[in-house]
Amino acid sequence: MDLHLFSQFLVAGIIMGILYCLMSLGINFIYGIMKVINWSMGEFFMIGAYVQYLLIIYFIGSRYWYIGVVISAFCVFFLGALVQRILIKPMFVGIIEEKMEYATIVTISMAIFLRNLAVLIGGPYIYTPPDYASPTHIGPLPLSGNRFVALIGALILLALFYYFMKRTWIGKAFQAVAQNRSGVQTAGINVLKFDAIAFGIGTALAAAGGALLAPIFLVHPMCGLIPTIRGFEIIVIAGLGSIPGVLVASLSLGIAESLGSAFINPSFLDIYGFVLLILVLLIKPFGLFGKEERMA
Amino acid sequence: MQIFNLKFSGLLLLLLVAIFLPFLMTDYWRYVFSIAYYYTIMAASWNLLGGYTGQFSLGHHTFALIGAYTSTLMILKAGIPLWMGILSGTILTIIVSFVLGFLCLRVRGIYLALITWAFAEVVRVYIRMDYVFTGGDRGLFAPLFFGTTKPLPYYYLFLGVSVFAIILIAAIMRSRIGYYFRAIRNDEVAARAMGVNTVRWKVFAFMVASGLAGLAGAFYGHSIGLISPVLGEFNEMAMIIIFVVIGGMRTQAGPVLGAISIRYLMDLLREWSEIRIIILSAIVIIIMRFFNGGLMELFKRAKQWVQQKGIKEPVPAYPQIDQK
Repeated sequence: MDLHLFSQFLVAGIIMGILYCLMSLGINFIYGIMKVINWSMGEFFMIGAYVQYLLIIYFIGSRYWYIGVVISAFCVFFLGALVQRILIKPMFVGIIEEKMEYATIVTISMAIFLRNLAVLIGGPYIYTPPDYASPTHIGPLPLSGNRFVALIGALILLALFYYFMKRTWIGKAFQAVAQNRSGVQTAGINVLKFDAIAFGIGTALAAAGGALLAPIFLVHPMCGLIPTIRGFEIIVIAGLGSIPGVLVASLSLGIAESLGSAFINPSFLDIYGFVLLILVLLIKPFGLFGKEERMA
Repeated sequence: MQIFNLKFSGLLLLLLVAIFLPFLMTDYWRYVFSIAYYYTIMAASWNLLGGYTGQFSLGHHTFALIGAYTSTLMILKAGIPLWMGILSGTILTIIVSFVLGFLCLRVRGIYLALITWAFAEVVRVYIRMDYVFTGGDRGLFAPLFFGTTKPLPYYYLFLGVSVFAIILIAAIMRSRIGYYFRAIRNDEVAARAMGVNTVRWKVFAFMVASGLAGLAGAFYGHSIGLISPVLGEFNEMAMIIIFVVIGGMRTQAGPVLGAISIRYLMDLLREWSEIRIIILSAIVIIIMRFFNGGLMELFKRAKQWVQQKGIKEPVPAYPQIDQK
C-alpha cells in the first residue's frame, strides 16, 4: 500500500469529516438540551443553502460569499427559534403528554413540509452557486477550492462554538441545562428561553453548513437528504447528547468513507457509514461517548 | 357475539358496501382503491406497533420492500410457485424483524427510531447497489398474481387481505396481549413491575406488525408487476405516519379511515403533487399540536356533543406545571 496515496485519502477523509461535523453538531446540541431529535435538520441545511444562493445571485455577488454565510445563519437562527416556540415548546409546559412520539411526528412532518415547500417555491431544479475559490493544494494533494474554503469555514465555526460553550456564561448555562434540567431552574435560568435559543443555534449551525457546502452539494430541494443521513449516522456513533463525540465520530466516518471508497469499492459509499455504525453499536450500544441509560 | 349489535352490523354494512363498490367504479378507481387497501394494511400494522405498543418504528415500509423482493427473487431464481413465494416473503420478514427487534428493543425508544431508520436506509441502498442480483434501480418484473392487469380481482384480493389484517389486529388487541401492549405503552417500568415480560411482548408486536407489512408488500409486488427501491424511500414511511395520525392514532378504525380517505383525497388532487403533501403535513402538525386524536377524536367529540348537548371537560385538580 502506497503511503503517499494512503495519506492523501486520509487527508481527504478528514476534510469530509469536518464538513459533516457542522450538521451533526446541531442535532446533538439540540438533543442535549431538549432530549428531542430534530428530524428536519437536513431541511434547515437546505434552507441555508437556498438563502445563500439567493443572496449571492441577487444581493451580494460572489466575491463576498462569506457575508452570505453569516446572514443566512442569522436568518435561520430566528426561524429556528420561532419554530421551537410554536411547535416544540408545548412539550415542556404540560400540554402534550406523549413527548417522544409528538416530537418525532412533528419534526418528520416539518421535514416533509419544508422539502415540498422548496419544490413548490423554487421548482425542481438544481441551482449551481458560483465557486468560492479556485482549486488549491494541500501539500501534494490537489483540492477543490470550495472544499478548502468550506474546511476553513467549518474550523472557524467549530472554534467559535467551542469558545462560546466553554468560556462564555451562556455557554456554561447551556452545559448546565444539558446536565440537569430541573436543577438549573433553581439557579435562576429560564429554561424555556434557553430551549428556543438552543434550537436556534442548532439550526443556525446547520444552515451555516448548508451555506458553506452549497457549491459542493449544489442547491436543490433534496440536498438536505445526504447531510441528514450522515448526521444521524454520526450522532448514533457518537452517542446522543455528546459534543466531543460528534467530532470523533464525524472524523471516523469521513475517514472510513474515504478509505473504503478508495480501497474497496467507490459505489458502496453509503454502506461504509452504516457498517461503521453497526460495528460501533455492537461494541458500545449507546455510542462511543453516550451516557449509559438505565433500561426501563 | 350478537349479530344485531349496532357496531357489528355497521361494520358488516361497510363490508357489503366495499364488496359492491367496484361495480360502480371505472377501472382506474378500482386500482386506486386496491392501493388504498394496501396502505390500510400498512397503516393498521404500524398503528399496532406505534400507536398501541408505543414503539416508534421508522422502518415499516422496508419490511414491505423485503417481502416484495424476497417473493419475487425466490420465484424468479428458484422457480417456486406463487403462493410459496408470498409465504417465503412473509416468513423472511418475520425472521428479520425478530432479529432486529431482539437487538434493538432492549434500549430506549428513541434508539428504536434511529436504528430502524438506519436499517431502512441500509436495505434500500443495498438493493440499489447490488443490481446484478436485485435489478437495482431498474426494478424487477414480478409475476402477476392473476395473470391479468385488470384491477378487478386485485381489488377483492387486497380487500380480503386487509379484512384479515384488521380482524387479526382487533383480535390481538381484545385479548390479554392487547392489555400487555397498552401497558407497555403507558408506562413500561410499571408494566414490568406488574409482571409483563416487556421485551418479549415488544418483540412479538414488532414481529406481527412487520409480518403483516411483509405480506402486504409481497401481494403488492405481485399486483403491480414491477418492484423497485422507490418502495423503500422515506416518503412511503411519512405517508404511513400521515395516514395514521390523521385517522386517529390509538383506535381500531382510525388507520383504516385515514388511509382510505387520505388516499382518495390524494388521488383527487393528483395534479398538485407538492401542494397536497404540503397541506397534508401541515394538517398532521396541526393535529398533533392541538387535537391529538385525528378524525376519530373528531367523531367522538361530535357524538359526545350530540349526546350531552355540550362538552363537559373534567377540571384538573391543580394547575399543570412543567414536567421533567
